[in-house]
Amino acid sequence: MKIGFWGYPNPDIVKSLDEKNPQWIDLDIDFGYPESNILPDAYCKIIKNIIDNAIHLKPDLIVATIGKDKCDSGWFASCILKDLGFNVIQSKFEDISLRRPTPVSTSDLPLRKKVELITGQIIKPTKLPVIKQCHAKFGFWGVPPNDLSILELFPNETHVFGWTKCVEAGVPADVELEMEVEKNLPIVFYSQAFCAKSQLAKYLAKKHDGLYIDIDDYATNSVRAKIEAFLRLR
Amino acid sequence: MKNYLDAGTTYSKIITVHENGKREFKILPSKTVRNLGLTFVKTCGHMDFKNGNCENEIVALAKGCRGKVDNDAVVLDLGSRDAKWIRFKNSKFADMDWNTSCASSTGATVEMLLKFYDVKLDSLTCVDKKFPVTCGVFGLEKIMDDISNGESAQNAISKFVHGIAYNTWTFAQKPEKIYLSGGFCENKCFVDSLRKYCNVELLGRFILCEGLIDE
Repeated sequence: MKIGFWGYPNPDIVKSLDEKNPQWIDLDIDFGYPESNILPDAYCKIIKNIIDNAIHLKPDLIVATIGKDKCDSGWFASCILKDLGFNVIQSKFEDISLRRPTPVSTSDLPLRKKVELITGQIIKPTKLPVIKQCHAKFGFWGVPPNDLSILELFPNETHVFGWTKCVEAGVPADVELEMEVEKNLPIVFYSQAFCAKSQLAKYLAKKHDGLYIDIDDYATNSVRAKIEAFLRLR
Repeated sequence: MKNYLDAGTTYSKIITVHENGKREFKILPSKTVRNLGLTFVKTCGHMDFKNGNCENEIVALAKGCRGKVDNDAVVLDLGSRDAKWIRFKNSKFADMDWNTSCASSTGATVEMLLKFYDVKLDSLTCVDKKFPVTCGVFGLEKIMDDISNGESAQNAISKFVHGIAYNTWTFAQKPEKIYLSGGFCENKCFVDSLRKYCNVELLGRFILCEGLIDE
């Protein structure tokens, strides 16, 4: 059984479905499948990935995250997929009562590895070995980017903030934690182009004297150079 | 002898540092630089010359203007196809932006317009009216309409250049003063238009290239 999901599905739903030993597929990820042209061209690439992946991979079931733990676009996407005949379970996980520690976000692992490790724990959390911590020289705030290669521009001494950190803390709807960053740290505030979270990214970048970037699809050389310049000059 | 190259889309700026420390400055069309057979210690810019260490343009701009601007300053480089600015606060890098790669309202477009309408750069003068050039293509349409309504090509292009100046000032977040780097330093119409909005101090065309020199 193939189950597609996006965001951070409610752990209770995951647990109940896991008994069937399914193959879980993260529909957020860009697997490079052909565009279905269902959504407008100028739209959040992550949501476009969700639709295109679903059309191509035809999962038996989709667990669609639609609450404050994702976004309204996720909710609309779930409605479209339901209308297209997919078997969709809508999931909300807005419990913010218990924040877990976030050792990966503050570790000395390469930034891309940190983000991949955090998202890889969403469906099947495993006990991680003790990870070496580091003092932050920089920060990365945001969701896992469609173009993960931009994370390779950052040094290992980069701490993770924003929604990705909320995911590690097990509270994807915790906007207070999402807006929390380390003071006086040079931080790149990233949002996917056309994502509602660009509101927060731009606002927080100004508030904390950071760099705001939004990227549609894949980063251009100039956007890479902009990040590189920020990291070198700050 | 060491050569440093800022290889812009249209023009290349080369500084040669001789053994006695004397610096020689050259500006050449970028398409001719490959044929010179020169080796470069460091390069920056859009054109790809692989015989030198390539430096980030923003970093080159930041390094190149050291000692030439106030402690609190906005430095803007406007080239053939992109614009970038840096803000310094207490002599420290504070903020920046780079319009990445849209050439619709930059130097290359102005050069093409001058060639297309056979107008000399010197004949452009600062005018009060400006065309909206947020989208350069719409700006071009305004020029065509203006000329077909009897306006001179000089004046129509001057309105377009005024639009670029206004856009540039807005892009740099409307500072009180701009230190201008790049080819537009030599465009009097542009500089006068920009001075309608803020103080302007010219840094010339070699700032990025100077930022490549470590010694």
